[in-house]
Amino acid sequence: MKRFISFTIVFPALIVLAIWSCVSDNEENFQTDTFSPTPYTIPETAYFPRNLNIPADNPMTVEGVELGRYLFYDGRLSGNTSKDMLMSCATCHIQENGFEAGLDHPKFTDGKTFGLPSEEFPEGLPTTNYMLPIVNAVYNHNGYLWNGFVHESNDYQGSDEQNVPAVRDFHFKNIESLVWMSITSPHEMNSTIERSVAAIDAIPMYKEKFKAAFGTEEITYDRISKAIAQYVRSIVSHNSKFHKYLRQEAELTVQEKRGHDLFFSEDADCFHCHGGSILMTTNEYFNNAKDRVFNMEDHDRHAITGDPMDIGAYRAPSLINIELTAPYMHDGRFKSLDEIIDFYSEGLVYSDFVHPLMKNVRQQGVQLDEEDKAALKAFLLTLTDHELIKSPQYACPDELKEWSGQ
Amino acid sequence: MNFIMSNMCFYFIVNIKNRSMIKYHDLLFLLGLMFMITSCKNHDDHESDFDSGKLIFTFEHFADGQELVFDDMKYTNAAGNQYEVTEIQWFISDITLNKRNGDKLLLDEEKFAHYVDTNIPETNKWIIEDDIPAGEYTSISMTFGIKGEKNKPLMYTDPPESNMLWPVNLGGEQGGYHYMKLNGFWKNKDAQREPFNFHLGVGQERDVENNITGFIQNWFEVELPASSFSIEPNETKSIAIRMNVEKWWDTPNIYNHDEIGGKIMQNQQAMKMGVENGKSVFSIGSIGSVFEK
Repeated sequence: MKRFISFTIVFPALIVLAIWSCVSDNEENFQTDTFSPTPYTIPETAYFPRNLNIPADNPMTVEGVELGRYLFYDGRLSGNTSKDMLMSCATCHIQENGFEAGLDHPKFTDGKTFGLPSEEFPEGLPTTNYMLPIVNAVYNHNGYLWNGFVHESNDYQGSDEQNVPAVRDFHFKNIESLVWMSITSPHEMNSTIERSVAAIDAIPMYKEKFKAAFGTEEITYDRISKAIAQYVRSIVSHNSKFHKYLRQEAELTVQEKRGHDLFFSEDADCFHCHGGSILMTTNEYFNNAKDRVFNMEDHDRHAITGDPMDIGAYRAPSLINIELTAPYMHDGRFKSLDEIIDFYSEGLVYSDFVHPLMKNVRQQGVQLDEEDKAALKAFLLTLTDHELIKSPQYACPDELKEWSGQ
Repeated sequence: MNFIMSNMCFYFIVNIKNRSMIKYHDLLFLLGLMFMITSCKNHDDHESDFDSGKLIFTFEHFADGQELVFDDMKYTNAAGNQYEVTEIQWFISDITLNKRNGDKLLLDEEKFAHYVDTNIPETNKWIIEDDIPAGEYTSISMTFGIKGEKNKPLMYTDPPESNMLWPVNLGGEQGGYHYMKLNGFWKNKDAQREPFNFHLGVGQERDVENNITGFIQNWFEVELPASSFSIEPNETKSIAIRMNVEKWWDTPNIYNHDEIGGKIMQNQQAMKMGVENGKSVFSIGSIGSVFEK
């Protein structure tokens, strides 16, 4: 009897316990699902961050990134099929302009974007702020948008104003969140989740692509947002002349090197906010001495933290591709690199909320002479990644060119 | 998986010995059970040395004997400058325990440096991975900043440490990161609130035309006063290292923001004053036992 108990009850129980207790070490061995997309790997380039911002519930796959590229360029995501009413992500995020609108945008004069027209706004509602780079977003753990509102720590869900329910899919945590926000925002696609999902669902080619990316043909908002987020995370810029210079694959000219040394010193003092890493941004928030007076209605960092020291503070954006991404600042007040260099040289204004890194504020700026300004500009031009802006990997698929809304 | 294999072996052994199962099965069952307990152990688990304890360093920032209040122009330094502090970001490295017989125990040699940021509360604690042999230690030494041979440009790829970059054109190949950024404001001689960046790192030697001709290492070692302690087997001890901010600007050099200005990364004379003063900046806040294992 004793032996019977040992071998018929205890021993099988032991096996079950073992499988249960070891499952965390061997999870992959117990998967029964045959769906196995190809993992997508962000290239590990020298000096770039290793800690990637990829949510556990949306691992990157080759198929997911490719689906995301299609959706990114498909203007029917706006819920419209009329070709004069299309808006895709790429309507504003132009690859050739470093994935921003740029000053030469065919629809948005001086890079000022606005939403699709509605009865209330027949000309389209202007977007609150100017655009931010989406390049190298996979390395950013410090929130998205100018004030960092979209952040892993944000527990809000949905939007009454945009008729989006407060459920898990409609969070404000990461790049996935920005998809529903763009679809439903009146100053962007100005659609509804249902309309946009239905529009994509009606396009036959997507069934196969969703199956490849997610295992079944089902088209849901959750999958749309995850695929687009995967594509956006895949957009990494590693190959500007500056990057190659750091890897000893390229030389800077004498003038560019002079500009580099100004940038990376207290002479021009750009690097404390923009050069802490190879990303050319710290992704931190600063009041950079643009204004004396602040509108408390503004969506600044203070609106998120409530800290008075964050009044008038906005994200220091990456300067990668800065040549292509004018206008500059959250309100687009500067239209050229010359204007922005002049501002930091002699245009700073003091307020009680200025960040102490703006230590030259009492001298109105770093006071560069014309030669130094030209050198600094020459260095900034080395931050353009000419390979990225031409790469077919990120380009509009041929079959979507007529639907891209560009 | 180890467990499953072990029990398969167990089952196999039992079956080939089936004629004497009654004789062997209890023993084998116990062996299998023991193997189960050990085989599923997390490989990251640290093997505990029963003659050792653990150390946790915490970091605190004081001014004039009280916990520092940020963003408040309530302090006055030895030069008479009124000042406030916005943030302090700094590296401590090569913490070493000294014994009476002269032995030194360098802690967490592989990591060697810890980043402290008053904007990121979780950085105010360095949990030492190494086991600490039980016994008495006469003092604790530390390096402020990072020694030159370890301070390699671009060695930190991820924030927040990467944001401490000290440009290679200002620090050379042995000066990759700031030792400290202490940012704030002082009331200048015109009674205006003006920003200062008390940033310490590698300094520059310059010729008469101000061209850089060499670099000067400014990191320094400190033996913390009143830092003797003992640690019992299985004890976890918490030791608070305190930065007394006002001391950056008083002894032996009176540091006057009005004379020096708000930036010093390219002013070795000012950094040298800071470095000399820095040797009296650090003290022990407290030493206590966290818990017994």
